[in-house]
Amino acid sequence: MAGTLTLRVITPTRIVLDEPVESVRIPVLDGSLGVLPRHAPMVAALGAGLLHYKSNGVEKVLFVSEGFADVRDNVMRVVTEACEPSTDIDEKRARAAEARARERLAQRGKGMTGEQAIDALRAEAALRRALMRLKVFEYGSRERVRT
Amino acid sequence: MEMVATTKLRRFQDRAIASRPYAEEIAQLLGRMAAVMGDRLSERPLFQPGRGKQTAVLVVTSERGLCGAYNSNMFRVLETWLAANPAKKPVFFVYGKKGYQYLQKRGLEVERLFVEPPLEKLDYRGAKFVARALREAFLSGRFDEVRVFFTAFESMTRYVPKQVVLLPVGGDAAKTDKKQAGDVILEPDVETLLEKLVPRYLETRIYNALLEALTSEYASRRMSMKNATDAATDMQGMLKKQYNRKRQENITKELLDIVGGVEALR
Repeated sequence: MAGTLTLRVITPTRIVLDEPVESVRIPVLDGSLGVLPRHAPMVAALGAGLLHYKSNGVEKVLFVSEGFADVRDNVMRVVTEACEPSTDIDEKRARAAEARARERLAQRGKGMTGEQAIDALRAEAALRRALMRLKVFEYGSRERVRT
Repeated sequence: MEMVATTKLRRFQDRAIASRPYAEEIAQLLGRMAAVMGDRLSERPLFQPGRGKQTAVLVVTSERGLCGAYNSNMFRVLETWLAANPAKKPVFFVYGKKGYQYLQKRGLEVERLFVEPPLEKLDYRGAKFVARALREAFLSGRFDEVRVFFTAFESMTRYVPKQVVLLPVGGDAAKTDKKQAGDVILEPDVETLLEKLVPRYLETRIYNALLEALTSEYASRRMSMKNATDAATDMQGMLKKQYNRKRQENITKELLDIVGGVEALR
């Protein structure tokens, strides 16, 4: 094996994760990007999305909002504003948020004023977040079934 | 009340400590990106003085009183700055009702009073909100710079009002350290990274300033509550002594009367 890479996830309120992993896949602005141990130094901007990592042969998933990944000296620092492990996600709340956003988007009509357009954008972003959370949650529950 | 202030103080202190790794990481990244940008950095609007004539000033004060000289110390520093820069027409952004009342009384221009979230319930999103308001104000071109007046927390008994320049980004952050730049893969590119980093950097600075101000406020409140309790205890002791002495005096006087009366009857 090629050894491990330390994955450290840092948010303004706490350090969510700090452990050795075998591989990481991060959501960047235009897709996703895999990082293995002994990667060359890199700084990447993250888009909101799923961060997959493999630890002791088990694939795990985190939801991360926008942020940055800084890889150097075999340590990957993920600096993000919000990050939720699948165990922290409230499925009901996420589903409710999804429904709410969809409803708001359905009302979107022609001839929107500026404010309504902003509301629609907000609803879209909320929908994206809700779907992402649900996806993480599903991964998480699968993981739990397996173990 | 001293206990209440102490508990809250601890809570804010813990939060300030928890936010440190994030802030350090962001500042470090910003420094490195600035180094990669090199001379092109001065082309970015947030890195050079604004075109405006006025200065935007964020003042952080407390919502309530009973916190000793916390607010008046802040006002003193503010007055010193105002006196030293009579040419600048400051426009104020305020956190805390006490500061707002003061500025109103002084007849200074207050553009905005932040009330939501209340300082005590401050979280990162609140700081984000304030940072965005200040960044937008700066980009509107009305101001030459944005300053923040807050009380820095040094220890439980030392908290000093001070001011920092928030915008344009300069000083430590933009200090270009050539060897830091190094050979780094950038994804997608330095401009995009920098553009995303600067707002985060401002947020962490605001968050930190607000948390420090809050911690200082409670440290100050704790001190003044302790002083009040001590003074009341002293006073209580003194009054008790006075009362007992008076009582004894009365008893002695009455006894003398009785004894005198008995003597007279004999």
